[in-house]
Amino acid sequence: MSTIASVDLQTLGDAFGQGAIYALMAVGIGLVFGVLRLVNFAYGQLIMAGAYTLAYTSGWPVAASIVSCFAVVVTLSLAMDRLVFRPLRGSSPAVMLVTTFAVSFFLQALALIIDLRDGTLGQIASSVAPLNQAVSVGGVDVRKVTFVAVGVAVGALVALALVLARTTIGLHTRAAASDFRTARLLGVRANRVIAFAVVVSGLLAGAVAVLLTVQNPFVQPDFALEDTIIVLVGVVVGGIDRLWTATLGGFAIGFVSVLVNAALPTDKTVFLPSVVYALVIVVLLLRPAGLFAWGRRAAVERV
Amino acid sequence: MPEAAALELDGIEVRYGSVSAVRDLTLSVGKGEIVGLIGPNGAGKSTTLHAIMGLLPAHRGEIRLHGQSLRRRSAEAIARAGIALVPEGRRIFGDFTVEENLRLGLAARRQAYIGDALGPAFELFPILAEFRRRQAGALSGGQQQQLAIGRALVARPDILLLDEPSLGLAPLAVDGIFQAFTEIREVGTTILLVEQRAQRTVALANRTHVLVGGELQMTLGPADAEDTDKIIAAYLAS
Amino acid sequence: MSRRLDTLTELLGPAVIVILVGALATTASASNEVYFLNALVFVAIVVAIYVFVGISGVLSFGQISFVAVGAFAAGVMTVPVDSKKGVLTSVFPLLRDHSVGNVPSLLLAAGLGGVFAFVVGLPLMRLSGLAAGIATFAVLEITHNVLREWTKIGPGATTLALVPETTGALQATLGALVAIVVAFLYQRSRRGRLLRASREDPAVARSVGVNIHLERLLAFTLSGALAGFAGALYVHLLGSITTEQVYLELTFLTLAMLVVGGLTSLWGAVIGALGVSGLDSFLSRAEQSHVHVVLTFTLWQGTRLVFLAAIMALVLILRPSGLTGGRELRLRWSLRRGRG
Ligand SMILES: Nc1ncnc2c1ncn2[C@@H]1O[C@H](COP(=O)(O)OP(=O)(O)O)[C@@H](O)[C@H]1O
Ligand SMILES: [Mg+2]
Repeated sequence: MSTIASVDLQTLGDAFGQGAIYALMAVGIGLVFGVLRLVNFAYGQLIMAGAYTLAYTSGWPVAASIVSCFAVVVTLSLAMDRLVFRPLRGSSPAVMLVTTFAVSFFLQALALIIDLRDGTLGQIASSVAPLNQAVSVGGVDVRKVTFVAVGVAVGALVALALVLARTTIGLHTRAAASDFRTARLLGVRANRVIAFAVVVSGLLAGAVAVLLTVQNPFVQPDFALEDTIIVLVGVVVGGIDRLWTATLGGFAIGFVSVLVNAALPTDKTVFLPSVVYALVIVVLLLRPAGLFAWGRRAAVERV
Repeated sequence: MPEAAALELDGIEVRYGSVSAVRDLTLSVGKGEIVGLIGPNGAGKSTTLHAIMGLLPAHRGEIRLHGQSLRRRSAEAIARAGIALVPEGRRIFGDFTVEENLRLGLAARRQAYIGDALGPAFELFPILAEFRRRQAGALSGGQQQQLAIGRALVARPDILLLDEPSLGLAPLAVDGIFQAFTEIREVGTTILLVEQRAQRTVALANRTHVLVGGELQMTLGPADAEDTDKIIAAYLAS
Repeated sequence: MSRRLDTLTELLGPAVIVILVGALATTASASNEVYFLNALVFVAIVVAIYVFVGISGVLSFGQISFVAVGAFAAGVMTVPVDSKKGVLTSVFPLLRDHSVGNVPSLLLAAGLGGVFAFVVGLPLMRLSGLAAGIATFAVLEITHNVLREWTKIGPGATTLALVPETTGALQATLGALVAIVVAFLYQRSRRGRLLRASREDPAVARSVGVNIHLERLLAFTLSGALAGFAGALYVHLLGSITTEQVYLELTFLTLAMLVVGGLTSLWGAVIGALGVSGLDSFLSRAEQSHVHVVLTFTLWQGTRLVFLAAIMALVLILRPSGLTGGRELRLRWSLRRGRG
């Protein structure tokens, strides 16, 4: 019986780690949605680009490798805004979403071409792999990355919350997310708040790239694709209208997936997606505006 | 040539798709004046203000600020050029504090400021200073309107556009904001006031234009304030 | 007079172009024929999606679930009984010991698709916006998961092979035409027009007594039946299928076809399906002239996707309402702008 308790703690650790990473992704997606009303399906490819950068700079000092990962991801994020999001402003949500599908496929195909230059598919990002080692906490093995992930997530979220609450650009971004038209009427510079959201969202994608390559150093063109899909689901289930409900949604779906996976009998774990998505449907039916969106109706009527 | 008016509309037409909501509208607001714009619902008053702010393009004609055309400028650029709109329905940020709402008004401010940047709002409406940490959504309707006006004023605009500021307010609150308009004019801010309270507007403004069905019907002076028949006739003409 | 003409072109435009593609298929070489047939099956799938997404204005990522159910139902039920004993060992005896012909399998797929869509739509059609998009996506995930893991109803994660390849030029053309005619009749019907009106303004539609939930459910069911039918056409074209072929990629590709063509018109659905398939085939042909080593082949696969994705993104950025502008084909329009 004693092993059950320890397995539970381990699972709980994993659940927190997964939830933390998904929460970071949710913030990145939610911030851009807030100011642009655009669901960026290509968010995962920012992370993928960061992961490839880490792989290709594996020989470099770790710090340099991580810095270049952030540089590449933020640059790509800004380029996406400039070349794709900006011309799409004002388009219908469906068109914006489908365009980001196309961007996502474009970047995956590009990655495939670059990746295959050496004749094999996939690259190894090993510089940060040591974080994957386990440390023993009170007899329970927890991987270091779990602590790092939770630490990075909490740190990043607190920092972002402070910037949003205390600075002028934060105030302007919140105003733009809540009522863009009125914000512009007051002189809030649209391009500036959008650039802010896009850069922060890129920084978060960079951080996620580092954390995910620790867990899975084998980088392929579809790196982070599945995670992004799950986070998008979580964000809507949590309530995409607000940053904090979106973030909680991302955290919750990561956390719950790990727990459900552990709770299912071993021969039934293959049905994990069905269980999780059935839960998603139930929650959406009960709370269409978002699980955490108390007392609010859906502002996102049409997509 | 005489000095250009603070704000001039020169034969503007504004359309929604193929339907024109305002046609051939010409009016000018001199520096330090209050000009009224009244008319029944759907007359095109808000449309006119939106066109001035650059939220809607003028299909024809020119809008000029101090003699300079505002054509193709974005709303945010026009706000930073010195025009502030207090929109219909106030549009305050209910989840934000009073102070945060006011600080948003600073986004359009052109010069650096000394002292309390929010001073212009607090001097006119002391209650805002008292409630600065409260949630804006928790204020009464009259206080929210004061907040919306204060938010526009902290940008120190040359021209203040107001869209039905008295709508839905208790009589006492209406008195308060009309009093405020006089004080705002005294510090040299020019006002274009869109209202439904015809009589009070005519009495307050240097000139009041009556807009009906998107066209200018008549222009009234303060002396016409008591002449209710004339005002009613202007409303009904169409 | 001109209104009748409009009605006629609205149906004839898509029908004629589909028949043309079918005719081209018969004249093409055996290796090229498949591109034309593929394009026609995509027309059927995209039109099925259009019947719900295009007319109701509610985004759904779930319609490929019905394609998948149709494809696997038709596939499993048409593999000859003798072969089944070898390849589909774990399925229910009822499925293992019976097979049906081509046409019954198409009808069965349509029926199953419709029933499945109705059952799913009953609760889900109350949703709209992103919530509807995500809930229907959840349906896709569950369908895929169950088809992939439950080996009592099909091949599971392995390939379903030995399905009779009955979708030739005739069946592909007729199949696409059936989808187009059904979509046309529906969008011209009173109910179809009501639903489209509710798309513009749900509040007004409700206030004049339109039961939006019911109208959406009807469109969803009809779309599900057409999607199941299209899935059967698809499996009979391919001859073998895995669950991965009727999952995410197909969902994104077909939605992209619809949006690129023009989300709100039948003409847009047809043009989008044909245009994107045509482009894809063209790029595949280009790719094949480079098949020398495995490596260059895959390299070219990447290049093809790069082009395809870039062109789709460009169309959407430059023409957000799609190639057709989301309008039906009109004679005046086509005379003024020339063909295509
Ligand atoms: N967004 C819009 N789209 C189409 N027509 C509009 C829109 N807004 C206002 N209108 C129309 O333009 C006319 C003028 O409206 P508005 O300027 O709001 O009038 P007012 O402010 O004087 O009450 C009305 O007929 C109204 O129906
Ligand atoms: Mg108005």
